[in-house]
Amino acid sequence: MATRLNRLYNPLYILIRNPVALKELRGRMRGPRAFMVMTGYLLIVGFFTTFIYLAATSDSLSNTGEIDGGEVGRILFSSVVAIELFLVVFITPAFTASAISGEHEHQTYDLLRTTLLPESSLVWGKLFSALAYIILLLLAAIPMQSIAFLFGGVDLPEIYISFVILMCTAVFLGSLGIYFSSTTRSTLRANILTYITAMAVALISALIIVVLVGINNSYTATTNTSVVTRAGEWILLIPRGLFICLNPLATLLVTRDFLINQQSVFTIEYAFQDGTSVTLLSPWLVFSFIYLTMAGIILWRTVHILKRIQE
Amino acid sequence: MTDVIPPSEENIEQPELAADAIKLSAQIDEEDLIIETRGLNKRYGKLHAVKDLNLQVPRGAIYGFVGPNGAGKTSTMRILTTLMRPSGGEAFIDGYSVIHNPRDVRRSIGYMPDFFGVYEDMKVWEYLDFFAACYEIPESQRHGLINDLLELVDLSHRRDDMVDKLSRGMKQRLCLARTLAHDPSVLILDEPASGLDPRARVEIRELLIELAKMGKTIFFSSHILADVSEICTHIGIIEAGEMVMQGPIKELRRQLNPHKIIVISLLDKVEEAKTAILQLPDVEAVTDLAPEDGKKRLRVEFKGEDAGVSQLLAALTTKGIPIVNFAEETSDLEQVFMKVTKGIVS
Repeated sequence: MATRLNRLYNPLYILIRNPVALKELRGRMRGPRAFMVMTGYLLIVGFFTTFIYLAATSDSLSNTGEIDGGEVGRILFSSVVAIELFLVVFITPAFTASAISGEHEHQTYDLLRTTLLPESSLVWGKLFSALAYIILLLLAAIPMQSIAFLFGGVDLPEIYISFVILMCTAVFLGSLGIYFSSTTRSTLRANILTYITAMAVALISALIIVVLVGINNSYTATTNTSVVTRAGEWILLIPRGLFICLNPLATLLVTRDFLINQQSVFTIEYAFQDGTSVTLLSPWLVFSFIYLTMAGIILWRTVHILKRIQE
Repeated sequence: MTDVIPPSEENIEQPELAADAIKLSAQIDEEDLIIETRGLNKRYGKLHAVKDLNLQVPRGAIYGFVGPNGAGKTSTMRILTTLMRPSGGEAFIDGYSVIHNPRDVRRSIGYMPDFFGVYEDMKVWEYLDFFAACYEIPESQRHGLINDLLELVDLSHRRDDMVDKLSRGMKQRLCLARTLAHDPSVLILDEPASGLDPRARVEIRELLIELAKMGKTIFFSSHILADVSEICTHIGIIEAGEMVMQGPIKELRRQLNPHKIIVISLLDKVEEAKTAILQLPDVEAVTDLAPEDGKKRLRVEFKGEDAGVSQLLAALTTKGIPIVNFAEETSDLEQVFMKVTKGIVS
């Protein structure tokens, strides 16, 4: 009865009771490694925060003679989130790319396979333990994000949205790491494949965004306004929006701009050249949907691979 | 300073393992098979690793699976433990098919591979707790279970130590404890004594006998024929993927050596003894052996039963022949192994 109640009222009950998650969390938090990773992470975030603070305040002072608190706050907040994103992109694959291949390397995979542990529990346990540590890192950096509040210019929705984007990125990259880890017996190979794929998604999408924005600008600038059709704008808008929503940094920046200009959390108003506008979902929502869907598909595929019995 | 004597099997006090094995074999129902394979085949490309293997392991047996390297032992074990799909044939554990009911098979078996899977960052009790949880043992039962398992394998004093600090023998015992977490009816052990020092080997053998007494069926592969000979009730010899011979170990010895060999040591009256022996029925031959410690020795090939052996001894003693030793020579497993295998490696 108590167990049923626990399951009902505590959504994390199943994950906490997952033996793999518990084992991984115990192992991860034991010894100096967890402390060293967190210290290194905070030092990097702290160093850049200080540097950006100094640069932003001196820049603001030199332009107007007085500090524009809102602008400095926004720059500081965006910079800390960008640094966190950069670190999440680098740390998450390192935690999950050894998930299955590490079991092979430690010769414990066969032991696990002959137990009653479902393959899905193995995958969820590995992902959950990695994400739990990422959450800890993000929470640990909150004091540095909070410096931005001293200057103003940052609202609470921005904090929530940035956290969601960071977590969705971590879930996607974590799933990708586990997937590659299940396809190879070498952790090094799994790491390389995960980083290459993550970089390809980030860089290729960024490149395509730049190209599409360039095309859009030249289309709207050089073509006579009467010739610019709404259909043409749609054709340019959809791929541009899609690729923005494939790139976490672009999503962060575009969402922030719409938040500042339109004060709307969930939707944006896109204005066409002909003066009409259309209501669209905010980029962070589309980004979250795309990344979580991709993560779900990758995890499903990973479980499927693990269920295979050696022929 | 005290001299440290390195442990060897000779200076370790061993229990009567063979006697225990004999007692166990008397209780086994040869018809009640807990592991059975029918025409089991495994192919890796062109290599035919397991060929029409018909394995029969009775419930409660300690079954030694013996064969040279590359004979197909590990492939067979991986199929039995649901880690590998056979290319043909069927395998059953406790009535469950390894192909169609892998989850039931996993519930019935405890598997120990020929290597020790180490989680370096775990304590001994955490290691057992983790695997107990993987076997769906409720958390409320695990504490007591872990204590019982550690006591069984004599590791209670290392409960809070890190796993990587244990000696190889201790790790092997811990691994054995892990296989018992869900109280399986069959233990499948791949080379359980491989790489262990003599003391650890004896300890593992003792443990296996103890587990067999608890009603577990033990199916293990080994290269060390002395281990197999010491504790097994049954043996299967595999070579180049084919089962060369299997059955109760006593039965196999009798089949391969139908004559009893009796070695008699005497102080004197050799010719008189030879004449008396040859007059008895069922005596096939008497030959002289080289003297040992100044005592003369005779080797008697005898095809009769135990009553005949008793008559033979009585005949000699009534004639006043000074006998100092009278013993039946059992053929060791190495002889059996060499007789039935050809040294083929697949």
